[in-house]
Amino acid sequence: MNLILEKQTLQDLLQFWRQDYDVYLPQKLERFSHFMPLTDNCEPVNNEPHNTRIPPKALFLPMTEALVKFTRYGGYEDAKHEIQSRVVFAVRPCDAQAVQLLDTSFIQEEYTDPLWQEKREKTITIGLGCHKTCPTGFCTTVGCGPFNKAGLDAILTDLGADYLVETLTEKGSSLFLTLPEAQEQMVTMAEVIQQKAFNQMPVAFETEYLKEKLEQNFDSEYWDNVSQSCLGCGVCTFLCPTCFCFDIVDETQRRERVRNWDSCMFRTYSLEASGHNPRPSRVERTRQRISHKYVYWLDQINQIGCTGCGRCVRYCPVGLDIRAMLRQAQTLPFEVSHAV
Amino acid sequence: MPDLDAIRTEARRLLEEGLVEVVVAFKAGDTPLHPQPAFFRSADEVDELVYDGLCQNNLATYLTRLPKQAKVGMVVRGCENRSVNALVVERQKAREDLYLVGVPCEGILDWQTIVAEVGEAITSVTETGHDLMIETSAGYQLLERHNFLHDSCKRCIHPNPTSAEILIGDPIAEGDPSLPRSAVESFEARSIDERYAWFQKEAERCIRCYACRQACPMCYCEECFVDHIEPRWTESGATPAGMQGWHIVRAFHQTGRCTSCGACERACPMDIKMTYLTEKLNHDMREKYNFEAGLDAQSQPPFAAVTLDDKNRFKI
Amino acid sequence: MPEKPKIVLFQCRWCLYAPADQEWVDSQLPENIHLTKTPCTGRINPLYLLNAVQGGADGVMISGCLPEQCHFKTGNIAARRQLDEFNDFLDYVGYDKQRVRFVWLDLQDRGIIQKQLAAFERELEALGPVSNLATRAKVAEGGQNA
Repeated sequence: MNLILEKQTLQDLLQFWRQDYDVYLPQKLERFSHFMPLTDNCEPVNNEPHNTRIPPKALFLPMTEALVKFTRYGGYEDAKHEIQSRVVFAVRPCDAQAVQLLDTSFIQEEYTDPLWQEKREKTITIGLGCHKTCPTGFCTTVGCGPFNKAGLDAILTDLGADYLVETLTEKGSSLFLTLPEAQEQMVTMAEVIQQKAFNQMPVAFETEYLKEKLEQNFDSEYWDNVSQSCLGCGVCTFLCPTCFCFDIVDETQRRERVRNWDSCMFRTYSLEASGHNPRPSRVERTRQRISHKYVYWLDQINQIGCTGCGRCVRYCPVGLDIRAMLRQAQTLPFEVSHAV
Repeated sequence: MPDLDAIRTEARRLLEEGLVEVVVAFKAGDTPLHPQPAFFRSADEVDELVYDGLCQNNLATYLTRLPKQAKVGMVVRGCENRSVNALVVERQKAREDLYLVGVPCEGILDWQTIVAEVGEAITSVTETGHDLMIETSAGYQLLERHNFLHDSCKRCIHPNPTSAEILIGDPIAEGDPSLPRSAVESFEARSIDERYAWFQKEAERCIRCYACRQACPMCYCEECFVDHIEPRWTESGATPAGMQGWHIVRAFHQTGRCTSCGACERACPMDIKMTYLTEKLNHDMREKYNFEAGLDAQSQPPFAAVTLDDKNRFKI
Repeated sequence: MPEKPKIVLFQCRWCLYAPADQEWVDSQLPENIHLTKTPCTGRINPLYLLNAVQGGADGVMISGCLPEQCHFKTGNIAARRQLDEFNDFLDYVGYDKQRVRFVWLDLQDRGIIQKQLAAFERELEALGPVSNLATRAKVAEGGQNA
C-alpha cells in the first residue's frame, strides 16, 4: 500500500505510536545522531543523508547484555529482560538489510538466540530511504541500495512536503491505518526519486571475482600493505551494522554473566588459553575481517556481509578505506574455479 | 605551512643513504579529509608523502609496533617528539635507532568542525598560510585555519620538536602555559557534583572500542589492565562502572607520560571529551613535581623517581 | 538508625607492630569496615581503590609505615606519590578527597589505628553516604547502557 504522510503531522503520529510502543528514532547527541527513545519533546527527523554512528543493531544486540545471574553459593537463574514492544523509526536501508543478515546468525534451525528473537518479534522497523547520496556510503556496490526494502516493515520516501509511505508487512501497515492512499502521481514521483538516488550512488569497487581474489591470495603481501597503519581498535567492528561478535564474561563481583560486543581486531579476540594466538598481528586480523565480510559470508549464505553504510570509512581514526583496499584486491592474481 | 618539498627531500635522503629502513609519515587518504599514516621504505615512494593539518594521528604510536631494532625515521611535530622522548625514557626504543625530522606545528585540524561548517560534499582541502581553501561541489570556500583546530592544539604549550635531528621550518612561538592551567582550574571550580555529572555524561557514551588506547603512543602494554581476568578489576562492558573505570584508569596510567597530543580524543567515534582528564594529571605533575613528559629523553617520570627525600612531601 | 559508613581499610602487614593492634584488626574489626592486607602499601594498585569506590565505599583508609620504616625501603613513598595523586584525581571526577585517608603508623604506636578509624567514621558520617562513582550494579537490574 502506498500512503501519504504530511511532514507536519509526523510528530503527532510518532507521539500517537507512543501509546502502544516505545518509539526509537535518531536524535541529536553531541555532534552526531543516535537511536534514542522518543520523549515528549522531539527534534525534527533528520532527512540529511547522515547516518547514526551506532547502527540500530544495538537495539537488538545491546553492547552489554545480562545472560545469567548467580549467587555466591552456586545458585543461578536466567537474567530477566523486560522488552517492550517498540517501533524503530527512520532506519536507513543499509542498516535494515544488515539486521536481516544478522538474523541468519541468530535465528537458525538448530538454535535460536532467544534474546535476539524476542527483540526482533517485538520490533516494527520503519525505514527512511536516502534521496541524497551519503558521503562514504557504497550500498549499491554490495547488493543494497538507498531505497532497498529488506528488513523493513515500511519505507518512507521524502517527497518534499510529504513522505510517501510504502507499507511492506502487516506490522508496518498497522502503524499507518489513518493515512490516506497516495495518488498515482505521488507514487510516480517517489519512483523517480528512488531511481535517481540509486543511479547516483558511485560504484566503489568491482565485486566480480573479488571473493576468489581474496581467498586465493591468503599469503600475499597485499595483506601487509593494507593493514600497516591499522591501529587495532574496534571502531570499524563496533560501528558496523553487520558485525555481531560477542564475548561472554563472568562478572564475579556483580554476580552476573554478561555478553559484550567483541572485535576480531582486538589481540585478545583469538588469544587462546595456552597463550597461542592464531592471529598474532594486525595483518592476520585485517585479513580475517575483510575475508569474513567478502568471502566467508558468501560461503555461508551467498550474500556479501556488508551493506555499504560507510561508517568504517568515515570513522576509522587513521583513514583506512575498505573501498580502496578492495579496489587494490581486484588487482590480485586469481584463477576461476572450474569445480562443479 | 610545513615545507612539503623539504620534508620529502629529507625523507628521500634518509632512505637513499640507508640511514633508516623506513620513514613514518603521512600520505593522501582515499577521502579528502583523512590522510593516512604511511610507511615509506624506498625513495621513490616518497612522492606520495603529504603533510598538513589534517594529519591527525600521533605517529609515535607506531614505534612500538615496528621491530625494536629497526632504524626508523619519523616526521614529528612537537607533541610527537615528546611522545618519542617518553618512549625512549621507558626504553621502548633506543634513541640512536631513531632519526627525527622535526616540523613546528600550527595545530591539527578537527575535520568534523570543517564538515559542520561547509557540509559534506568536500572534494579537497588546501592549506595556504593561515587559511584553508575548501573545494566543494558548489565551489570554493575560504576558512581561517585557527578556528578549526582540535581542542588540545588550542592549549598547546610546546609546538616545536625539541630533539629532532633536523628542523624543517622556523620554530613557532611557545604557547601560553596559562591555557591548560586555566582549563583545569575552571573545571576544578565547579562543584563536586557538577564535576561528577560531567564525567558521567561523557563516559556514558563509551562503547569500549579502545580507539583512544590504540591511538595513544604511551599505551603499548601487550596486556592492558582491562584484559586481566583473574581478578577482573574493571568491568568488561558498557556499564557505568566499566565505562567510568576505563576512563579513570587509562588516564591515570598516563600520569607523567602523557604529552597532551589529543590523539585519544580525535580517535574517539563517540565524541567523548577525555583530555580534560589527562590535562588534570599533567597539570598536577607540573605543579607538584615540576615535571612534564618528554621534554628530554632522560628524566624519569614522578611515579618512577621515588626517593626517601619525599618523606617530607606528604602530610602525615 | 542511619547505616554506618562503609569503610574499606587497606593495611600493610607490617605497620601494626603491636600484636594487640593486629589482633584487633584481624578479629574485632567492626562490621562496617572491610579489611584488605597487602605486603606493603606500595602494592596497592589504584585499581583496588577504584574497586572499593565503585562498590560503594563511603571511605577508604590506607594504613602504612612511616617513611624510613618501610620494610621494603621506599614502598610507602611510592604508594603515597601514586595514591595521593589518585585521590586528587578521584576528587576531580567527583569522589570527595576527604573520603580517602592515609595513615602512617610509627612502629612505636599503640592503639592508634582504632582511634584513626573511629575518627574517620565520624567524619564520614558528617559527609553523608556516597553516591558519586558508586556504580557497580547488575546489568539486569538497570545497570545497563545500551
